Amino acid sequence: MSYSISKTRHTPFSARLGQFLRDYYIYLVLILVVVLLSVANLDRFDLFERGNFLNPKNIVNILRVSAPILTLAGAFTLLMVSGHIDLSVGSAMSLAAVVYASLAINGVPFLMAFGLTVVVGVLLGAINGLLVVKLKITPVIATLITLSLYKGVALLMVQDGVSAIKSGGGLKMPGWFNDYGRSGVLLNLPMAFWVAVLVTIALIVVQNKTLLGKHAAAVGGNPTAARLSGVSSNKIVILLYVVVGVSAALAGIARSSFMSLGDPLSGDGMELTAILVVLLGGTAFSGGEGRVLRSFIGALIIMALTVGMLTLVPAYYQTLVVGTVLLIAAASNHLVSRKGSK
Amino acid sequence: MTQQQSSALSVEGLTKDYPGVRAVDNVSFTIKQGAIHCLVGENGAGKSTLVKMLTGVLQPTSGSITVAGRRHCPRNPQEARDGGIATLFQELHVVDELTVKENLTLGMEASRFGFLVNSKTDEVAIETLATIEPSIDPEARVASLSVAQKQILEISRAASSGASVIIMDEPTAALSEREVERLFAVIRRLRDANVTVVYISHKLDEIFELGDDVTVFRDGKHIVTKPLDEVDGRQQLIELMIGRTVFQQYEPRDIADAEPILQVEHLKTSLLKDVSFHVNKGEVVGFYGLVGAGKTEIARAIYGADKFSGSVRFNGKEIGPTPHDAIAAGIALVPEERRTQGLFTNLTIRENVPVMNLEKISTTGMLSPSRERQAAEHFVAQLGIATSSIEKHTEKLSGGNQQKVVLAKCLFAEADLLLLDEPTRGVDVGAKTEIYDVIKALANEGKSICVFSTELEEILGICDRIILLYEGMLEEELLNGEDVDIAHILNVVTGGAEHKGQ
Repeated sequence: MSYSISKTRHTPFSARLGQFLRDYYIYLVLILVVVLLSVANLDRFDLFERGNFLNPKNIVNILRVSAPILTLAGAFTLLMVSGHIDLSVGSAMSLAAVVYASLAINGVPFLMAFGLTVVVGVLLGAINGLLVVKLKITPVIATLITLSLYKGVALLMVQDGVSAIKSGGGLKMPGWFNDYGRSGVLLNLPMAFWVAVLVTIALIVVQNKTLLGKHAAAVGGNPTAARLSGVSSNKIVILLYVVVGVSAALAGIARSSFMSLGDPLSGDGMELTAILVVLLGGTAFSGGEGRVLRSFIGALIIMALTVGMLTLVPAYYQTLVVGTVLLIAAASNHLVSRKGSK
Repeated sequence: MTQQQSSALSVEGLTKDYPGVRAVDNVSFTIKQGAIHCLVGENGAGKSTLVKMLTGVLQPTSGSITVAGRRHCPRNPQEARDGGIATLFQELHVVDELTVKENLTLGMEASRFGFLVNSKTDEVAIETLATIEPSIDPEARVASLSVAQKQILEISRAASSGASVIIMDEPTAALSEREVERLFAVIRRLRDANVTVVYISHKLDEIFELGDDVTVFRDGKHIVTKPLDEVDGRQQLIELMIGRTVFQQYEPRDIADAEPILQVEHLKTSLLKDVSFHVNKGEVVGFYGLVGAGKTEIARAIYGADKFSGSVRFNGKEIGPTPHDAIAAGIALVPEERRTQGLFTNLTIRENVPVMNLEKISTTGMLSPSRERQAAEHFVAQLGIATSSIEKHTEKLSGGNQQKVVLAKCLFAEADLLLLDEPTRGVDVGAKTEIYDVIKALANEGKSICVFSTELEEILGICDRIILLYEGMLEEELLNGEDVDIAHILNVVTGGAEHKGQ
């Protein structure tokens, strides 16, 4: 994107091919996955009916289910570009889901419930950021601590003997609660999906056009250089954790709307999915490198695989297949980029 | 030379104390506006510490700094730059993942509501870069640049920052001759624009070619500040730098008929250019040169820690290519960075001593605690390691005692050749003498020792033979003795031999 290499005219074909692969491999992988899944599910005489992967209903379904990870991928990318990580995103998501569902079921109107939950996301992100920056706890450990804490609070907010906040016992979820995650508003896709798209567009702008985006790459690429250049890394890091916290809250809202309940375990494992998706998108684990859009595509690939394979192979093969795809992506990415650098 | 009236920067009674060491001692001097002011002094003279205080990396213990008439007390590099001082540090500080253009303006970006906007700063930065090195594409990623190109990028950044004072710490270390010429042109242009450049270099020719004034440091003290016109050539500058420092007395030893134990022929790495030498049994050989002259590279090549071409024969046999082979052959390295490369600081003295030769304290794979303890106690006594117990964690020991533990490790490995890379760096004066005594005692026992050092005092104090290095080349070999010409040595390691040849 902004790293265009000039003078392509004079470079040999192999180098240009390598550059092309590096820039576009994620899209090629997406196309490959979609083609493979379509061929595998091909129903020749009934192209737009059930059974075909490219069936619009199927696509809509996948995108609806994907809303949470699509919301999270961009923010998580920026954080990893800055050389940090947040293992508490799953718990933050669960907590946000529970808070949102509690507000909704107690009659708080949509916008207010939505806004308050986002504020909770800001808080959770800020706590992570402060632990890392002020108490100087290693990001992995700091967010492992908050993973437990946030999940603990989420579990406490649900009454004894009930597994999640949902209709029943005289309380009923309002109609809009479910609509946000399920009812199509544009192209038959729900609000939750469009929010994910908006968040991603906003973060692409942040990455390419703002101080925050540029300084995130500087802090992750060479912390000493960033500090000596007068970049205030602390502010950048806290801000990025807040952005991740907000995205986790939005993801929690999307998930609870889709499931119609506030499940304190609904975000479990999300941190691993987020890491997988971001790495698949070509983000460097050590920081400095990574693009928001590619992680978004990475999330689409993982979700297409997970959902698309439901009809193909037994569910217990899924994790294995996802792991294999990631392995191939990581290995080829490594090979291509090593060839490319001098 | 231009006429300057006002002062760009002045320091008054500036002092910096470290535990046990006074790095900068009550320094006062003034730098004129619009001049190229050179700072010279040996390693450890206090130049770098001074620069770190000027740029907010370190805070002075006492004293004051004035920039353009205002009190300057930065707490970080950002505040230093806000105060008008930009710095080019010795190490490279660029972000590989960003583009050249993004690096040029890092930390100085113009923005509106957090959004990056184009500004004069960008244009000036790109223009400056284009004048120094037009071949660098502002849109290229920094990862694709060479070291020299990265250096030029940093220079452009400092030059275009709008600072009134720019400090350059050894900016030419990685540059080719052509690039150096371009850099000098830029520095002169900065001077014409009334920018003050503080230029630090060990290469004295550069100082004479470029500088208006010079300040000499020695042992943390300010010796003199005067126009370079009034300095009478390299020799006088060198004399000012070394002063009448009393060197530790070298006692000539009788090793004339010893046979060679180590023979190095045509050693080449990316830095070393065909280095050949030998070391005799029981001899202490000193390798002296500036930072980057190739000392560490020689030590690491012999030890098998780095790849090289050429031949290294020890006791008549080629050594294998790994440190494991070197240790087995009887070679041990005391590395440059004691804490990170030499010691397991989280372990005790007892656990550190035997790590290079665990076989010696074990029977059929089981460690013998009693033999481990005996070994540790033996070396604590032999080397005079000051500690309450062998169970003390090595991170709690002083620098000198830590270094003795590293030596103990090597001795326990039954090494016949010890490679000591900066053996007394960060060690206080008393412990230095003790380490020198240990080295001499080991040589008298018949061990061969190579000392790689940037401290001339150390080289002259303990080495029988001295090898002078400059930019990866073995310039000269000389025997130590009373008649050794210190000025000549300094001349050679600062590039004076080439100077003479021209």
